[in-house]
Parts: sequence; structure tokens; C-alpha cells
Amino acid sequence: MKHPNQATLALHAGGDLGAISGWRTRRHVARCADCRAEIARFAECRQIVSSLDDAPEMHWNRLAAEMKANIRLGLAAGECVGADEAAGARPGWSLARVSVALAGVTALLAVGLLLERPGPNVARETGVVVQATGDGIQVRQGGQSMGLMHSGTSRDAVTYQVGAQGSVEARYVDAETGYVTVNTVDVE
Amino acid sequence: MSNKRQIAVLALLGAGAALAQDVPLEGRVSINLGKNSPVALAGMSTGDSHSSSRGAALVLDLHMSLMLRNTGSSRIHGVALRVVSQEVTVGGKGSVSIPSLNIGPGESFPVRIDMQLMRPTQAVGGPLVDVNLDGVLFEDLSCYGPDRLNSCRTMTAWEMEAQRDREHFKRILAQAGPNGLRRAMIESLARQAARPQLDVRVLRAPAVTSAALGPIRTEQFAFLEFPDSPVEPLHGWAQVAGNEARAPRVEVRNRSAEAIKYVELGWLVSDPGGRQYLAASLPAADPTLYLPAGMTAHVEQDTALRFTRDGQPVGIQGAVGFVSRVQFSNGKLWVPSRADLERGALVKLLPASAEEQRLGDMYRKRGIDALVRELGKY
Repeated sequence: MKHPNQATLALHAGGDLGAISGWRTRRHVARCADCRAEIARFAECRQIVSSLDDAPEMHWNRLAAEMKANIRLGLAAGECVGADEAAGARPGWSLARVSVALAGVTALLAVGLLLERPGPNVARETGVVVQATGDGIQVRQGGQSMGLMHSGTSRDAVTYQVGAQGSVEARYVDAETGYVTVNTVDVE
Repeated sequence: MSNKRQIAVLALLGAGAALAQDVPLEGRVSINLGKNSPVALAGMSTGDSHSSSRGAALVLDLHMSLMLRNTGSSRIHGVALRVVSQEVTVGGKGSVSIPSLNIGPGESFPVRIDMQLMRPTQAVGGPLVDVNLDGVLFEDLSCYGPDRLNSCRTMTAWEMEAQRDREHFKRILAQAGPNGLRRAMIESLARQAARPQLDVRVLRAPAVTSAALGPIRTEQFAFLEFPDSPVEPLHGWAQVAGNEARAPRVEVRNRSAEAIKYVELGWLVSDPGGRQYLAASLPAADPTLYLPAGMTAHVEQDTALRFTRDGQPVGIQGAVGFVSRVQFSNGKLWVPSRADLERGALVKLLPASAEEQRLGDMYRKRGIDALVRELGKY
């Protein structure tokens, strides 16, 4: 008996085959236990993958506020440049122009990082390690760790400071409360 | 096992690792604000806290939102909470602080605590996380709390920096009007975005330097002088090998007329291209430091710092120090002035103060009029 190939079985498991291929595969599967089992496994995998595929929760209002703030900043910086030029400022790379460029790059980076947060670093050192990760700061030893996270804030918007005594501080403006929040982890 | 079965097994393991479960937090989070505390817990939510498996480890994501109310008679300008997980702490502790507050009597304010705990086994009974009030700073710079993390000193320093920076921006507003203030805020935001940063890991490990790091050399500190600093750094050094610096040690002299009980230095390093970065703060290790007028002491730490950028080691060279914080034995604090920071170009290398960060964020999100109104409140 000639079995359908893996791709056909996978498409069949998802109901994605065309009418003729689907009819042909259904006929084969009805009398082939091996292919039925294979399709069941594909269906199981599909279910798992779809649960993995859930989009992370996006804080659309927060994202919109960030984008609005960055646009406002860009416009304000532009006005400053315009004012400079109207006043007969020197041509070339004035501080205001550099500011506009930096503000634009920062806005792009901030939005990019919000949409795709980098994964945490993995400490390979032995002993106790204190470090910043992609979305927080942590103290780690072996397979154990304790971290304070700055959820909902892009890494670029966080100011990190290290203490040589064994501490890391992450400072950011909480988008929900509007307060500056300082998270610190350190080694006793 | 055939390839397709291996894929199926891996997919199942991956899915198992990613499936999150709700964590029953009743009785697992202990909040202690202390007796006669000037703040009371007005509400609490544990939001979407959950646990998940990652390989053989269990990961707990705790999202807590506390609502605290000022039950005292003074305005609150800062709060610090000590956060510890007895089961996982591995010799470490955490704190969540909110500086630059301005909360009047009877008013409430939120504090968010987002924690991630990872441990190899399932939990046992008892509190998973202890949240304790460590300090409350008031408008007059008095402080309440057990202060186990020296939060009072830290919050007082933040408050002094806040006053310094508010004065700076108010002066600009008075001299150059809203347009001048706008320009200053844009410059501040651009400076913060352009500030060079390295990723730094602090290791509390046995003093063994990997042969792969290369030969160990001793880097002598150079110092930036602040004329009004009560402490003068005299000389110092750190051991450097490749991208690792360890065991910094600096001798300082008290040149003020008052005894000093705390000294903290800032430490700058350079990459091979000569670009400078703030490496770390270097606080005095001795908690019982007492430095009378005219006397000297050592500021030192026995840790190692490893520097990377984009995951790649960055060889470091040079060491520059400056005095960043001093506390006198009467509790008063000294922090560098705005002129000190601008004179040494430090303003480009150091992070903006918490207050400058807050004001910048306010300008970015709400515009110049909101910022002018905010400065008018002080």
C-alpha cells in the first residue's frame, strides 16, 4: 500500500487539503491505522503549537501614548530647529538637529523593543551573579534566581546602575502610574 | 526514534514548558508596613500572577499592585519596600522604591511589584514573598522605617538631586521662558538617549580570574575634582584583566570640618576606542565607617565586574573616580552640584536623576504647559 507523504498527512490533519487530495487521503486513512495514528499526532502537535502561538498581551493604550509622546517630542524638536534657522543659526550639525535625530532613533528603538522584547541573558559564571536581563534585574545562583521586572517598559527606557558592592538598580517611569520606580537587587 | 516522533516529543515538551498555571497567592504574600506606619495598605491585587515550567525549574511570575495611603500628617516624598523570597533568595534581596513623590495626608498612591522567581522544585508552605516597608521619606527630609537597606540615605540623596534639578529647570524657565525650558528638556532627553552604556555583571565569586581573560594588570585611578566636595580622593587602583575589573580600592581624605560616616565614589572606565562609561558606584564597604575631619580611609569592594556590549566582552582600560555621595555623622548628605557635573562633562556620562527622568517623561507625554505647571508646584 502506498502511503501519503508527511506533508499531505500534516495538511490533512489541519483540514488544509484541496477537495480531490482530501477525498483521496480520507479514503486511504479510513483503511490505514498507521496513517490515522500519524494524523492524530499531527493534530496533537497543532493544538500545542496553537497554544504556544497566543499573541502576548499588548498594552495598546500604553503603546499609543508612547508613540504620541515621541511624535510630540519630534515636533517640538523640529520647532526648535526651525526657530534656530529663523534666527540665522549656523548651518550644519547643530545640537537641535542631533537631538531630533536621536529622538527619532530612540522612538524607533523603543517601539521595536516594545513589540519584540529580547530574551534574558544566561549567566555562566559560578557563584552569585547580579545582572540586568532583557526585562528586569536579577540575582542568580545556579538554578535559582530572584528578579524584579520592569514589565511594560522597553529596555531603552530603563536606566541601569551597578553598585560594585554587588547590586544592580533599574530606574524607569512606570507607564501606568507615571511615578519613577527604582528596582534594586543585591547580594547580602 | 524517528525524526517525526522526535519533533512531536520536543513540541510536547515545549508546550508543557509554556503552559502557564495560576498561582494561588492567598497566604503566600506577606505585607508588613510596621506598627504606627505613616502609610496603610488601602488595596492590593495580584493580577495575572502565574507559574510555568522551564526545563526542570519552576518559574513564578508575580505581579502585585499595592495601593498605599498616607495616614500621617506630612507630605510623603519617597517610599522604599524591601522584597525578599525566603525560599529562593540565594543570598540576595530586592527593593522597590518610589522617589520624587509628592503625596499629601489622606492621599493614596499605587506601587507595582513585578517579580520573577525561579527555583528547581515545587514550593513548600509559608509565605513565598515578604514585602516590608523599609523607609518613608517626608517633605522635611525626615525619615520613618526600619531602614535595613539604608533606604533613608538613598531616598534623601535622590530628594536632594531632585531639588537640585528642579531648581536648574526653574532657573532656565525664569531666564529663557517656556521655549528655553523646552529646548533644555529636548537636550536632556537626547543626552539620556545617547548616554553610552555597557552591560555590567557583578560577580560575588571566589577570587579566581579566568586565564582566558589575559594577564592581570593594576590600573591606577585618576580623579575628577569637585571644589565643594567634603571628601578628597587621594589615590587608588583596581585589578583589570580583559573585560573584568575587580577589587577596586581608593584612599580618601575628609577635608571638611565634620566627621563623615559614608562615602560613595563613581567609577568610570574606557573601552579600547577611548570612549568612557560609568562602570559602577563604589560605596564604602564598612557600615561602621567613622571618618573624622582631616583623616583618611579606604573605599573598597571585593567583587568582580564583567563588561559586555551586545553579548561580546569589552576590554576595559583606565579608571577614573569622583566623589558622588557623602553622609556626615549628623545624617546630612552631600551630592555633587549641577555645576560639578557639567564641569567634568559628567552630565553626559551619568544617568539623569530620577527627577530629571520624571520631568522629561512628563514633557514628552503631556507637553511644555504641563511641565511648567509641575515646576510651579515646588
